[in-house]
Amino acid sequence: MAVDYKDYYEALGVARGASQDEIRRAYRRLAREYHPDLNSDADAEERFKEVGEAYEVLSDPDKRERYDRLGAQWQARQDAPGGGDFEDFFARQDFGGATTAEFGDGAFSDFFERVFGAGAAPASGPLRGRDREALLELSLEDALAGGRRRLTLDDGRSVDVNFPAEVREGQRIRLAGQGAPGRDGGPPGDLYLLVRLKPDPRFRRQGDDLVVDVRVAPWEAALGATVPVSTLGGDAQVRVPAGSSSGRRLRLRGRGLPRRDGQRGDLYAVVQITVPKQPSDEERELFEKLAAASSFDPRGTRR
Amino acid sequence: MSGRRTPRARDAAAVEQPIELGVLARQAGLRITLVRQYVAFGLVEPCGGTSRAPLFEAGSAARVAKAERLRRDLGLNYAGAVLVCELLDRIRELERNG
Repeated sequence: MAVDYKDYYEALGVARGASQDEIRRAYRRLAREYHPDLNSDADAEERFKEVGEAYEVLSDPDKRERYDRLGAQWQARQDAPGGGDFEDFFARQDFGGATTAEFGDGAFSDFFERVFGAGAAPASGPLRGRDREALLELSLEDALAGGRRRLTLDDGRSVDVNFPAEVREGQRIRLAGQGAPGRDGGPPGDLYLLVRLKPDPRFRRQGDDLVVDVRVAPWEAALGATVPVSTLGGDAQVRVPAGSSSGRRLRLRGRGLPRRDGQRGDLYAVVQITVPKQPSDEERELFEKLAAASSFDPRGTRR
Repeated sequence: MSGRRTPRARDAAAVEQPIELGVLARQAGLRITLVRQYVAFGLVEPCGGTSRAPLFEAGSAARVAKAERLRRDLGLNYAGAVLVCELLDRIRELERNG
């Protein structure tokens, strides 16, 4: 396993000759800034760990002295031609650190454990890890049917999640134990998935109801017709009653989105009367006949 | 449409039962005495049960663990850790309504 050298002074942003007081001040400021419970940036957790590890070494005179000695030799080695990696360099030194290549999954880095030994990290007592949150973006179909999804979390980890059928916009799904790992053997936190429904080109969402346009010819609107309409479960037939004008809402009960009460919302098919852009001669003739024969006044201006 | 029955999801909070102090402590990875400290500071409040055997909301362990992380990591005392948690709640609320 390749172990990289860590610059603890750089992590705390202090000079190599910094006093204990300066180191403490720098640590406290950075700990507040990057604490993962206070800072939700993706890299905050990593930075916080780095800062804590750097403080653990630099605030302890013994550890600091050992680290400085190692650093000086590592630097000399880097400046010499033919460099080599840290692991190779470290293996030839005698710092009395970890002699085995077994690294724990401790709070501190492999570098720390290599130099100071696996048991050198201070035990703080068991504590549950942080809860995490991730966005679960679903198509309307998936939200209805449930399924499986691979999510990439902030920390780069990917998790396979099974989400149940009939989830709603804004719903939080809890995945127990999938949050941040606990400390010192404490239980891990939970992962919450926040459901967002992706916009659908076919439907408009109105709460738990869906709205879809259904285009009909003028004679279908006037005489009535049964026409196909898109629904979440595939095409369905909707009966357009005779005498339907544009904007009439035809309800398909229970074809909407899942509701909080366990029922489903409705699907509204909105009538849109559509005319031929370039009527044939015959169509034009028939429309003209209709215009002459009809006394219908859609604007109600005739007294 | 098929008449297939699928398991229904409910909002997380609605399904979860209140928990006893011992369960809360175990879920938080902490000793009961420490959890009692946080209860005494009002970080989490009983939502039922009796005074000898109080019950707490299901999400309480995460809240207590958060306060304890802040206390240990930032060198706060109990009152300070509880205060930070309450201020974080308020920020969250303001951001949600803003």
